[in-house]
Amino acid sequence: MVGLPYDFLANPLGAVRLSFEKAVASLPADADMAAAFRGKDWGAVDLFRDFLFGNGGIDQVPVLDASTIKWVPHNTPIRFRGMVQDMLGNELYVGAFKDGSTWRTNKFTDVSYFAMPPGCETQLWDRHLLYCVPVPGQNSWTMEPSASPSSGIVSNSTSQHGEKRERDTQDDDMDLNVKEHSCQSSCLSDNLVNRGSGSELLNGDSSSISCLVKIYDMPENDLKLNDVFEFIGIYTFDPELAVHKDDSDDPMYDLLEDPMAHLPPSKVPRLHCLICRKLAIEDFLHNSPAIEPLPSIVRGIRESLLTHLTAILGNDGVAAQYLLLHLLSRVRARVDMISVGKLALNLIGFTRESASIFGCQLSEAIQRLLPFTHAIPLTIDYLNNTTLQPRKGNDTGRLVPGVLQLAHGTHLTIDETCMQSGNLNSKGVENARLLKHLLEYQKVEYEFEYYKLEMVADVQLLVLSEAKSNILPADLVLPFCPKSVVTTHPTGEELQAWRWYLATMKSLQYNTNPEMNQMLQDLMVAAMQEDRNMGCTDLNRWLTMGELMSASYGEKSLTLEHWQMIMEMERIRKERLKERAAAC
Amino acid sequence: MAQSASSPDGRSSPIANTNSSPANGSVRLSGRRRRRSSATSPSPSPAAHLTPSSPRSAGATPLARGPPSSTPSSSRRQWRRRQPVTPSTPMSTDDNVPPSSEAGDDDAVDADDADSTPVFVWGTNISVQDVNAAILRFLRHFRDPRETSRGDGLLEDGKYMRAVHRIMELEGGESLDVDAHDVFDYDPDLYSKMVRYPLEVLAIFDIVLMDMVARIDPLFEKHIQTRIFNLKSSVCMRNLNPSDIEKMISVKGMIIRCSSIIPEVKEAIFRCLVCGHYSEPILVDRGRITEPTRCIRQECLATNSMTLVHNRCRFVDKQIVKLQETPDEIPEGGTPHTVSILMHDKLVDSGKPGDRVEVTGIYRAMSVRVGPAQRIVKSIFKTYIDCLHLKKTDKNRLHIDDAMDCDNNASTGRTVEDETPDYQDKVDKIKELSKLPDIYDRLTRSLAPNIWELDDVKRGLLCQLFGGNALKHATGASFRGDINILLVGDPGTSKSQLLQYMHKLSPRGIYTSGRGSSAVGLTAYVAKDPETGETVLESGALVLSDRGVCCIDEFDKMSENARSMLHEVMEQQTVSIAKAGIIASLNARTSVLACANPSESRYNPRLSVIDNIHLPPTLLSRFDLIYLILDKADEQTDRRLAKHIVALHFENPETIVQEFIDLPTLVAYISYAKKHIHPQISDEAAEDLTRRYVEMRRRGNTPGSRKKVVITATARQIESLIRLGEALARMRFSEWVEVRDVAEAFRLLEVALQQSATDHSTGTIDMDLIMTGISASERVRRENLVSAIRNLVMEKLKLGGPSTRLVDLLEELRKQSSMEVHLHDVRNALSTLMSEGTVVLHGDSVKRI
Repeated sequence: MVGLPYDFLANPLGAVRLSFEKAVASLPADADMAAAFRGKDWGAVDLFRDFLFGNGGIDQVPVLDASTIKWVPHNTPIRFRGMVQDMLGNELYVGAFKDGSTWRTNKFTDVSYFAMPPGCETQLWDRHLLYCVPVPGQNSWTMEPSASPSSGIVSNSTSQHGEKRERDTQDDDMDLNVKEHSCQSSCLSDNLVNRGSGSELLNGDSSSISCLVKIYDMPENDLKLNDVFEFIGIYTFDPELAVHKDDSDDPMYDLLEDPMAHLPPSKVPRLHCLICRKLAIEDFLHNSPAIEPLPSIVRGIRESLLTHLTAILGNDGVAAQYLLLHLLSRVRARVDMISVGKLALNLIGFTRESASIFGCQLSEAIQRLLPFTHAIPLTIDYLNNTTLQPRKGNDTGRLVPGVLQLAHGTHLTIDETCMQSGNLNSKGVENARLLKHLLEYQKVEYEFEYYKLEMVADVQLLVLSEAKSNILPADLVLPFCPKSVVTTHPTGEELQAWRWYLATMKSLQYNTNPEMNQMLQDLMVAAMQEDRNMGCTDLNRWLTMGELMSASYGEKSLTLEHWQMIMEMERIRKERLKERAAAC
Repeated sequence: MAQSASSPDGRSSPIANTNSSPANGSVRLSGRRRRRSSATSPSPSPAAHLTPSSPRSAGATPLARGPPSSTPSSSRRQWRRRQPVTPSTPMSTDDNVPPSSEAGDDDAVDADDADSTPVFVWGTNISVQDVNAAILRFLRHFRDPRETSRGDGLLEDGKYMRAVHRIMELEGGESLDVDAHDVFDYDPDLYSKMVRYPLEVLAIFDIVLMDMVARIDPLFEKHIQTRIFNLKSSVCMRNLNPSDIEKMISVKGMIIRCSSIIPEVKEAIFRCLVCGHYSEPILVDRGRITEPTRCIRQECLATNSMTLVHNRCRFVDKQIVKLQETPDEIPEGGTPHTVSILMHDKLVDSGKPGDRVEVTGIYRAMSVRVGPAQRIVKSIFKTYIDCLHLKKTDKNRLHIDDAMDCDNNASTGRTVEDETPDYQDKVDKIKELSKLPDIYDRLTRSLAPNIWELDDVKRGLLCQLFGGNALKHATGASFRGDINILLVGDPGTSKSQLLQYMHKLSPRGIYTSGRGSSAVGLTAYVAKDPETGETVLESGALVLSDRGVCCIDEFDKMSENARSMLHEVMEQQTVSIAKAGIIASLNARTSVLACANPSESRYNPRLSVIDNIHLPPTLLSRFDLIYLILDKADEQTDRRLAKHIVALHFENPETIVQEFIDLPTLVAYISYAKKHIHPQISDEAAEDLTRRYVEMRRRGNTPGSRKKVVITATARQIESLIRLGEALARMRFSEWVEVRDVAEAFRLLEVALQQSATDHSTGTIDMDLIMTGISASERVRRENLVSAIRNLVMEKLKLGGPSTRLVDLLEELRKQSSMEVHLHDVRNALSTLMSEGTVVLHGDSVKRI
């Protein structure tokens, strides 16, 4: 055969089928089908991997979003980036069946390409179902520019091998489908808006959509709730199925009803996953400058970012320092109940006016710097009426998202400046408790009706308040002292550099240094001897800050210099706190 | 009618061997099996009755028609009708065997088997005869080894024979519970066949049982179903996969939803609209009832005249239950899986939502119609479990165990161990742990391992977690078993961490801050400090921690009002709430663990506890143990803390973990002890307790210390001591409080008292410090001062004469006595004199009257 043996872009399922038939043919005659192929790949995924990554085919695969959904034909490969919002368990399907004397496969599709003769020999295989949504709070700058229809897929080179039949009719259907899609997608976006609390997570950008992903041949434990993944797979969005409303007055169907009933194929596109990979924050930076992490360059970026943050914070340099450390924090380890590495920051001293100016500037700046951000305006009303807690709806079998179902690495700004005194209802109390629990332990309790399940989280929390918030006791309380209002307009390159800097420095691994550890111990003992009020939490915070400080310079281990910088920052902070206390 | 209840074909099992047409050699069984497989099909059809029911439905047929004739032959005829094409089965041979000749029956069967050509279950190598014989052998001869060991086993019938007899006697029972472990012990081969081909083997099981019953009592009409339970291994719900389809499995989970009960037609009767002729009952076949197209009466023969007569049809109950994984089976970062369970007949409503159950059943799949187009059908399957047996494995298992025990005592003469193997494993592990000689120290170490020193505090907290026995006397007097603890100490001494940890450990722990607790309030309120603008959340806590530990941080900041509520909670264990004119008394059987900061930020050792924390003595005395956690400037401790925190940040977390008991085990250990261990005080220990208590009391009035009486112990302490002793015995899983427990209880109490109730001026323990806030020595000092002033006043001031200034009086006093006297002491003394009526105090001036 000359050229590409398979047309991965226009007819990926053909490739799957052909490779399957080849694989079957190469089996010894007495081999057990079930043992040979169940839960295994016969080489089809490798073919795709070669094509996508070896031959750069990935660029030709469109990203699924509100604009591409209008024209992407079904049964073609597509990419989708999203967070695993819910896991819907396993699905059994006829993986292979015997059509006469030939084995056919239904893998990577819901619909059998060849009609299955009744009573034929079949093989049952299983696959996992995941419901994936766009990452909550994903900022628009992280979205890939969506490909236009002209970028190569629709050119229907009908060079399929041995699969000419039915192809023509499908082509005819295609136009029809497109129309269907467009109207579908409009009701889709309606659907998203109607999702209530879920919709506000989308940061006003509803250009992406949720998707039901079917995972093959992968242990379920590799995929966790709230993980962010990129799935590359075969897209189906079958309006034909949509037409059909299960009209059988069959009580069994209602009773054995599963979550799928609420995700009809007409509303939620299906993606049969060929390849998936877990995404880190770096993966959301596009055309990021290839910056060498040289110390001098890192320092330069650090300085410029610090200047920017200082400007945003009304020339409050100390607050900018703290904010930088806060933005670099992440949960690095969990020992017992302690989450090591988190650094929740509470900026106090906001008034109504300063909150409206600096609060807005701040959250805008954070939105531009970090890929996933979310802001909560904390008021009595909000606490009483919002669903923060994700809850399993046992009636529908779905996990109903709450605001606190967030991907790891999300930044959460809680603006407490508008909080007034007032009564909380039981929901309000629960919400306040959840927020506090998240802040202290980086865990969110999910409600499962008969019990609760704690899910680990890694959320950077920034609390803005008038005075110290006792509802949300942060690791750090810093009085915020703006001096002037400065407006800054960072350039695109600057922003890109900063994003790269934050993403890279955040994921730095630390090295341990026994000498330094010894020195730190001595320093800490001395500090404790000096101030008897020092406790476990203070020391913990200092170490966290020290690590973050060294990370902010792109260094992997803590040095004395960094430690002294921390001490100086802490000294200023204490002074400010004292001044504030005196002023009251 | 009939059509509406029927379902399209092609929804049968996806497994080939039950689906496709049978081979010629197995006429009989395949006939049966086909019926079974259709019967077990989950389709909406009325026929979707489960399990060994098809023989029953057939057997019950005569019932529906009217009273059957009661001769043995007729019952056998029925049997034959049920087995229409059975030329060579053991069953048919039974017709030749007189019902009375039960002895040697096995041999007869065996002989028959030898003659007949083997019949195999289609697609397998299972010989029907073999299985049949094996089941018969099992039912006849299985004897519980535990019974046999008692010696009388040989004389009696086997376990299941007795069960069968009992069911027949009672007439009520309709199912025979068969322990799969018994099957395995008796015949592992039969067990594996049963698990692998449950449909076929269970069908044979039922036939054998029917046959057996028919021979014991030919008049017995009911069908007895076999219910298998307690499989050797149970599957985790998320590990169910296609290879389990059509296999017998057992899963554990929690019921989350139950459907309403659905009546399902088993047999339909039609009536001709023209002539009124009733048809024969028509059995549901593969989920379908074929409506007769014409009346069969020769006189009528009207077409399309038959109509379904609802109230003469036979229905069975059906229910669909959703089972969800229990939290302990969910891996980190996963969500629970759910599976549907199909229940029939007696099993309907045997579980409620929220129950933890173990289900034994057959995992099945049915195809889903994705679209109207035929090609789409069968690609996707829905799975469910046909339930054979449901066992509750609940938290309140004590109850269920009891019920089970009664049942089984009555039925089989022995108690069935209802405990699931892994639960038993856990208990065994815990029990083993409790036997360790150093369990007390080990528990202490495992409690908040991140906090050092404070070992005695931790021991006290452990006692609180285990708790004493609550007693309720017939007279109505009740003694609480909860131990209340107060921690007082310098800031930064990890009191809060201890509280947090306790909150985690206690099954119903509530953590609250005194600053925002209204203790009883059922509403919550966000309060904003008008001056500083700090926000706090105020909420009620005590009611919520009934039977748990209520951890109150910043106890000293609690409002007066809320604290007064604690009196009631800590002694009566109830909370009264007045709402809308009704006073409700809610249970608050909670242990209180409070921690307080000294009012002057650091603890002043020269002042009493009460002065230090400004808590009313009445409340203070209700704490069993009061610990002072003082931050001694100890470099060694600091260094250890620093080292630990550095390790926390820079070392691999795994290397930090030591031989502590991990949190889940600790929780399990505590809850097991609380539930199952109820120690009593041994005579010896009681004696020791009395002796030591008297000794402790006596210590107060040692001959050397003039006449003052120092109270070193009160009746409250003896109650505390008993509680502590009980808790200590519980830690060892001991049913008796021993002398060593009493000794340790005394030690713990003394450690706590030494810290909090030591009178610093004399160095002895003085309960008055806690009871009243004033030590005996202080009291003596005050009395001395009062008399000194009285003398002075008598001496210097004339009756009705001019007044003297306080300062002058103080000067005089200082001159006279060696005592260090403060102005406020003088004031206090003068107010005493004022109440005596000796002087009048006006501002700063004193006047004698």
